[in-house]
Amino acid sequence: MARVLIADDASFMRQMIREIIEPEGHEVVGEATNGIEAVDLYNELTPDLVTMDIVMPKRSGIDAAKAILAEHPSACIVMCSALGQETLVMEALSAGARDFIVKPFKPDSVIATLSKLAEKTSD
Amino acid sequence: MALDMAKYRLIFLEEGGDHLEEIGRALIDLEKEMGSTTAIDTLFRMAHSLKSMAASLGYDPIADLAHRMEDRMEGIRADGRVRSDQELALLFRSLEALEKMVEAVASEQVPVGANEELFQLLAEEPLADDSDCSDDREVESPDRVGGEPKKARP
Repeated sequence: MARVLIADDASFMRQMIREIIEPEGHEVVGEATNGIEAVDLYNELTPDLVTMDIVMPKRSGIDAAKAILAEHPSACIVMCSALGQETLVMEALSAGARDFIVKPFKPDSVIATLSKLAEKTSD
Repeated sequence: MALDMAKYRLIFLEEGGDHLEEIGRALIDLEKEMGSTTAIDTLFRMAHSLKSMAASLGYDPIADLAHRMEDRMEGIRADGRVRSDQELALLFRSLEALEKMVEAVASEQVPVGANEELFQLLAEEPLADDSDCSDDREVESPDRVGGEPKKARP
């Protein structure tokens, strides 16, 4: 099971991810509401896994992911994307993000993606 | 697993209402300065966030209109400014339509989709800058341009 940092400016989405993953045994160790907080909290908490929204204030999720990966190349970041963000998702994956989940979230798909990555990070 | 969607409906009304207020404030800022980067970014993010929340709850008419608005804002962001008074009026009109839909959700009614004309106008290429011919508008400005935005509550 993984220690997870959730980065999303919408409380709605943060709560939804939390409600989906906590019953699976994952621990939410922090919540960031913008890209700057995401980088700061990553450095402070060193979570096993980050769910990173792409569109956030102050610093975008793409920029935040790149900043984290520049300092921590093994960071496990999952991008949260929406319809029409395929190009940005590809950019994030090229920069080293591990995977992506698509909004609106399908709980089973979110669990499958995060659990697969959690297993890899615990290896 | 099943999520408690009644809970998320309430969060949507609270957070979505805040988003609509922010959109209203950003539009008023754009009335004063059509190239306000802060207002343009805020509007883009709020439309994006509304789209995702509404889609999560199956409020397709809200998600569809917010998506069209987000797309329009993407073009505005690329150009660095709202390109005409008509375009600003169109954004105000979209906000009013979104407010009506969110109010319908608050009243436990099914939100009705925006009319096709509004969708088409949002999808159209922007008109040329009309700063010198503002009396010849193709999109009628809503009464509330420059007014206080409303807020839907649960």
